Amino acid sequence: MRTLRILFAKELNATLTSPIGYTVAAVFLLVLGYTFSLTLFATKIANLQYIFHQMYVLSILLVPVLTMRSFAEERRSETLELLLTAPIHETSIVLAKYAATLALVLGIFALSLVYAVILDRYGEPDWGQIYAGYLALVLHASLLVAVGLLMSSITESQVVAAALSIGTFLMLWFADSVSYLLWPPFDSLAINLSLIGHFKPMVSGSVFLSDICYFVTASMLALFLTTWSLAQR
Amino acid sequence: MAILSIEAAPDESPRAEHAPAISAINVSKHYGPVSALEALTLDIRPGEVFGLLGPNGSGKTTFMRLLAGYLMPSAGRLVVAGHDVASDSLAVRRRIGYLPEAAPLYPQMRVGEFLTFMARLHGVAEQKVKGAVERVVERLALSAVVDKPTRALSRGYRQRTALAQALIHDPDILILDEPSNGLDPRQIIEMRWLIRSLAGRQTVLMSSHILSEVEKTCDRVAVLLDGRLLGVRATAETPDLEAWFLSLT
Repeated sequence: MRTLRILFAKELNATLTSPIGYTVAAVFLLVLGYTFSLTLFATKIANLQYIFHQMYVLSILLVPVLTMRSFAEERRSETLELLLTAPIHETSIVLAKYAATLALVLGIFALSLVYAVILDRYGEPDWGQIYAGYLALVLHASLLVAVGLLMSSITESQVVAAALSIGTFLMLWFADSVSYLLWPPFDSLAINLSLIGHFKPMVSGSVFLSDICYFVTASMLALFLTTWSLAQR
Repeated sequence: MAILSIEAAPDESPRAEHAPAISAINVSKHYGPVSALEALTLDIRPGEVFGLLGPNGSGKTTFMRLLAGYLMPSAGRLVVAGHDVASDSLAVRRRIGYLPEAAPLYPQMRVGEFLTFMARLHGVAEQKVKGAVERVVERLALSAVVDKPTRALSRGYRQRTALAQALIHDPDILILDEPSNGLDPRQIIEMRWLIRSLAGRQTVLMSSHILSEVEKTCDRVAVLLDGRLLGVRATAETPDLEAWFLSLT
């Protein structure tokens, strides 16, 4: 636990001292602010669904920017050699990087709570739907960060890591579209792999255990594969 | 007696008094069809300073990375401080200090911060971290740069900072890949004194391209070429190391 804390502090410090996190947060808030103002004035409805969908898309594009350096940079600068020859388990290294990056993403997401507060002040939003929407975003971020770390662990190049992550996220997003081309049971498998298929119901306020299990299982699988990838040497 | 009085992680493994500190038995490492190390068998005694000589690509770094647990052998058995590297890698990593060839440092950290991080990572007790950092800073004359970011260091200071992290937890065995890399002549001499001062208390395995350095620093020397061990000699019994090296390579 002490090792995990030490590594987490180091990762968080590296994230907060790098301009990347602040740039991503600025872009995120700028686009969200624009969408929020536009939809609120156009629809006059106290609803955050548009914002949640916007955050879904933005995180697919921006999380790879945060995860790409995690292992790729350590591999390139050879500091990974220091970590992997220290008396610590690979799992601690992976979990520390995962927790630090997820904390940053959730921190950026948390800034959007100001929109919920504004809606609450001037309207009567459905808080159940808002809670479900944020739960969906937390689970979504967890999956994206875990997969992003996996991609970063298999290459030395940050650009390749980011490209692989975005490619994987887009394939997961549109997995259900492929189902029309497949025959049973692969068509239902493709539908069940779909990222948006598990995100949408939660954002509408319907929380299903199957959707939660999808995100949790996929995140754990990606973290396991990242640890395994580090151990292959 | 150890250089740094650091609380070591508990280890109850059996350690025979005269067992080799490092024992390689038919160790090979392959990267696909490329063989980096081929059936290497070698014993390194406790307390000795052992040198690895050989041209680039001879397998020195691969052997050191195998000992440090960064790589795993494709075949054979490696025992470090009584622990098998393949099956008990964590126990091995607790007993060694490792200086990689590139002397990697975290650029966003200051020297003191980096050494504190490495001390904690190596399990130095929290109340002893500050003392451990101060001792290696003094020993490696880093006090002038302790508050500087590591990215602003000269090559010599980088090398010494990287060596300091290898020493910070007072390991039984030191694995130093090209420790004189980037050092000026005075620093090379000081590095030699430092390594010699560790002899007897710690086992040191170092690699170098510089024959004269190995001759002056090491008790025994092994020559590697194309991943194969060509010979091992005690430096005291080899009046002309250069001629011996040339005759092998």
